[in-house]
Amino acid sequence: MDQLAELIDYIARALVDDPEDVTVEAVEGDRAIILELTVAPSDLGKVIGKDGRTARAMRTLLSATSARMRRRAILDILE
Amino acid sequence: MDERENELKEAPLEGALLVGVEDRDDDDLDEDGKADYAREVLEGILSRMDLDATVDVREDDERVVLDVAGPDAGRAIGKKGQTLDALQFLVNKIVNRFPDGRRYIVVDSGDYRDRHDKNLVNMARREAKRAVDQGRTITLEPMPARDRRLIHLSLAKFPDVTTKSNGEGLGRRIQIIPSSGSRGGGGGDRDRRRPRRRD
Repeated sequence: MDQLAELIDYIARALVDDPEDVTVEAVEGDRAIILELTVAPSDLGKVIGKDGRTARAMRTLLSATSARMRRRAILDILE
Repeated sequence: MDERENELKEAPLEGALLVGVEDRDDDDLDEDGKADYAREVLEGILSRMDLDATVDVREDDERVVLDVAGPDAGRAIGKKGQTLDALQFLVNKIVNRFPDGRRYIVVDSGDYRDRHDKNLVNMARREAKRAVDQGRTITLEPMPARDRRLIHLSLAKFPDVTTKSNGEGLGRRIQIIPSSGSRGGGGGDRDRRRPRRRD
């Protein structure tokens, strides 16, 4: 698995009630990698958080990591 | 910023990441195992961020402090501590997923949080003095609730100013307002060169 996808996968699995329903699909674009995160519908709130704070924290770690690799990464939480 | 990173780079390395050094001398405090779990989670995230860092646990009755050290500690802090805050937020979410026996987890690196707080309080006092001297309201940068609270508290007893917050969400800022009461009382009135409050 792509390293950035693995980072998101690890965090998401730790956050949710149903870790076995977590998938992260890495879609490689020209200029950015898009990470499509899916979780059980009942766990959506757990990865988004109040006012999107959990999603934002994941994105902060994602961009800190991708910047060092000179890549751009976008986290897309699929509903 | 560079200075801090250099300081942190010189910090002694205490073994490689994920090597479980069993140096707990206070198991009784960690009867719920949350401190160890929190450390494991933080180490798991840091290694997947490709950061070379170690995590030590300091704990007291209420909170667990996870101390990040090693060559990449500066990167774990990030610009304005943003990375450290994101790590702390996520580790808290994960460790306190269940409502029973919540424990507050602080993610720190050396004395980063301490220094951050001191800098914040010093800055607030400086700006408060400027607000009084210039007789005008000073608006600070947007900052998180925790930092705003610290500033409100630290200026609560500062003479001749009041503070309040304005704006929504991430854009919320503190305003330091010289109190109108400061116009008369003091002996410094004859030194006033500038009209009060507006120009």
